[in-house]
Amino acid sequence: MTVYLPIAEMPINVLVFLAMGGAVGFLSGMFGVGGGFLMTPLLIFSGIPAAVAIGTEAAQIVASSVSGALAQYQRRNVDIKMGVVLLSGGLVGSVFGVQLVKELRELGQFELFVSIAYVVFLGIIGTLMMIESLNTMRKVRAGGHSSVRRSGQHSWIHGLPFKMRFHRSKLYISAIPPLLLGAFVGLLGAIMGVGGGFIIVPAMIYLLRVPTNVVVGTSLFQILFVTAGTTILHAVQNYTVDIVLALILMIGGVIGAQFGAVAGQRLQGEQLRFLLAGLVLLVCARVAWSLVVMPDELYSIAQSVGGH
Amino acid sequence: MAATDSTFHKVAQHLSLAWRNLLSLRKRDMRRALTGRNATIAYGAAIVVVLIWIFGGGDVLQKTTSDLLEKYAPPQSSIVVQKSDEDGVKRHAAVDPSRDGQDRPRTGDDPKADGETQPIIKPTDNPQYQESVEVDVSAKSVAITAGFSGQRIVVFGAVHKSLQISAEQELYDVIVVLEGTKAPLVTRRKSNVGGLWINTDSLKFARVPSYYTISSTRPIREISTPIVFDAYSIGFEHVRMDVADGKKTDFSEAELRKFRDAIIRLKAKEGLYQKKEDGVTFIGSALFRTSIDLPANVPIGNVIARTYLFRDAELIAQNTVTVALERQGIEAILHDFAFDYPLLYGIFAVLVAVSAGLAASAAFNRGK
Repeated sequence: MTVYLPIAEMPINVLVFLAMGGAVGFLSGMFGVGGGFLMTPLLIFSGIPAAVAIGTEAAQIVASSVSGALAQYQRRNVDIKMGVVLLSGGLVGSVFGVQLVKELRELGQFELFVSIAYVVFLGIIGTLMMIESLNTMRKVRAGGHSSVRRSGQHSWIHGLPFKMRFHRSKLYISAIPPLLLGAFVGLLGAIMGVGGGFIIVPAMIYLLRVPTNVVVGTSLFQILFVTAGTTILHAVQNYTVDIVLALILMIGGVIGAQFGAVAGQRLQGEQLRFLLAGLVLLVCARVAWSLVVMPDELYSIAQSVGGH
Repeated sequence: MAATDSTFHKVAQHLSLAWRNLLSLRKRDMRRALTGRNATIAYGAAIVVVLIWIFGGGDVLQKTTSDLLEKYAPPQSSIVVQKSDEDGVKRHAAVDPSRDGQDRPRTGDDPKADGETQPIIKPTDNPQYQESVEVDVSAKSVAITAGFSGQRIVVFGAVHKSLQISAEQELYDVIVVLEGTKAPLVTRRKSNVGGLWINTDSLKFARVPSYYTISSTRPIREISTPIVFDAYSIGFEHVRMDVADGKKTDFSEAELRKFRDAIIRLKAKEGLYQKKEDGVTFIGSALFRTSIDLPANVPIGNVIARTYLFRDAELIAQNTVTVALERQGIEAILHDFAFDYPLLYGIFAVLVAVSAGLAASAAFNRGK
C-alpha cells in the first residue's frame, strides 16, 4: 500500500511507516518520553530528506503531547507562569533554530550538523541517565531513600536578577534561567526534530529545583506550544512539513503509545530510566557510526536551494 | 474541531473522566492482566525491535523505499496502457497508407502542427534521405495523485517513406530520449576530516535533466558517432550539464568528470536515469515502439520525448512529443497549499495534529 508524499515528493509504503510510528510510539509510551529522538533518525535512515523529517516530526510531537498536556492541565500540574516564561524563550530559540536549518541546508552541512548534535546530546544525556539510574538502583538495594528535591539549598541561580514568584512551583527565582533553558530547548527542537523533554525535565528538576509533580505537566505544556510554533516556522521558512507523513506517523504513534504505557507500568522507575538510557546510547552510537565509517557513496546530489 | 466552549468542555470532561478511569484501571486490573512473563516478553520484543530498527533496520527500510522507487506501474494500469497503445498502433497502421498520398506536402519543414502531430524537422538537408518520422505517446498527460506509483509510457511512431521491407532488414535505427525538466543541481563530495566524513567539495551545475531515459534499437555507440550524440544530448555520456558560473576554475577536467559521473550514477540509482539498449522494436517496415516506465519518484513537470531516426550512422529525422506530468487530486491541493500559503498550511498542520492527538486519546479511552 503506497502513498505519494506531497512535500517529500516520494512514494512510501504506508504500512512500513505505520509500523515505525507504532514501534516508536510503544517505546515512548513505555518510557514516557516524546520519541522524537528515535523517530527523526529513523526517518532519515529510511530515506526521508533530513529537513522534511525534522519539520514533520515537529507536527507529530504536537499530536503526541496534546492529550498529555491537557490531562496534566486538568489535574493542575501545570505551572502556567513558569510555562509561559519557558515558552517565550522557546519560541525565540525556535526562530533561530529554523533560520539555522535554512542556512545550513544552503551550505550542504545540515545532515552533518544534525548528526553531531545527536551524538553530543544523546551521548551526554544517556551517560548521565545511566549513571544516575545505576546509583539509584544501588541505593534502593542498600535500603536507602532516594530523594531528589533539596529545596532549601541555594546556588548561583539564586543570585541572578529579575526574580519572579512561581506559585505552583513554590519557587522565587530569577526569570533568566528558565528563559535561557526554554530558548536552548527551542533551538534544539527546531534543529533535531525533538520535543526536548529529555533535556528540559532533568534541567527543571536539578537546575531550577521545580517539584517533580509540576515538572511533567509544565514541560509538556512548553513542548506542545513550542513544537506547534516550530511546525509553523518550518512550514513558512523551509516548506518541509509533510502533513501526510505526519498523519501516518501520528496514527501509528498514538496506537503504539497506548500499549507502551501499559507495558511501562510494570517496570520500576530506575529500571525504566536504565533501559531508556541504554536506548538513548544505542541511538547515539548508531548515528556516530554513520559519521565515522566510510560511506559507500562519497557523492551526493541535491536540488540547489532557492530554485525550489 | 472544538470550536465552541461547550463542545470543548464536553471533550475536556470526557477526557478527564477517561483519564481517571485509566488511572483506576492501572492499579487493579493491569497488574493482573500483565503477569511477569507477559511483561518480560513485551520488553524483550521491544528491545529486539528497537535493535533491529536502529542497526539493521535502516538498511532494510531504505531497501523497501528504493524497491518502491524501482517498482513500476501496477499490472492493471500497464494493461490499460498497453491496450491504448495497441489502439494507437492500429490507428496509425490504418491511417498510414492513406496518409502517404494525402500528406505529401507536410513532409518538408512544416513548423506548424495540427495539434496531434508535432513539427517535423529534418536535420540533414541531404535530398538522398526522404524519410521522416512521426511519433506519438500513449499518454499525453500523467496525473500524479496520492496513489501514484509509476506509469508506463509507450512511445510509438512510424517512419514515413520507409525503404525497409521488413523489420529484420534493420535499415533504420531509432533512439528515443525522454527528458524531464532541467534544474540546477548541487553535487557534494565527502572526505575524511579528522575521522569524520564531511561534505567538503561541492560543484553546482546550472541545468541538469531531472529525469533522463534513453531507449534505442541497439547500443548507441553502434548507431552513430559521439559528435552527433553530443550535439543532440543523446546518451548518459553526452547529456549536457553546464557548470554554474564562477566555479569553473576550481576543478580539473578529471574532477569535473567525476562529479558528472556521480550525478549519473546517483540518478540511475534512484531510477531517474535509465538506459534500454534494445528498448525500441520495429514492427513491420515502418512502425516502431518502445515502452518506458516512469518511476514513482519522477519529478513533476513536462517530459519531452525526442525521437531520432538514423540510417547508416546518419541522423536523418527527428520528432518530439511532450508528456505533461501534473499533480492532481489531494496531492496537488496539499502541495499548492504548502507552497502558496505556507503560514496557513503550518497552522493547518498544527490543527490537524492537535485534533488527531485529542481524537486518538478520546477514542482509546472510550474503548477501555
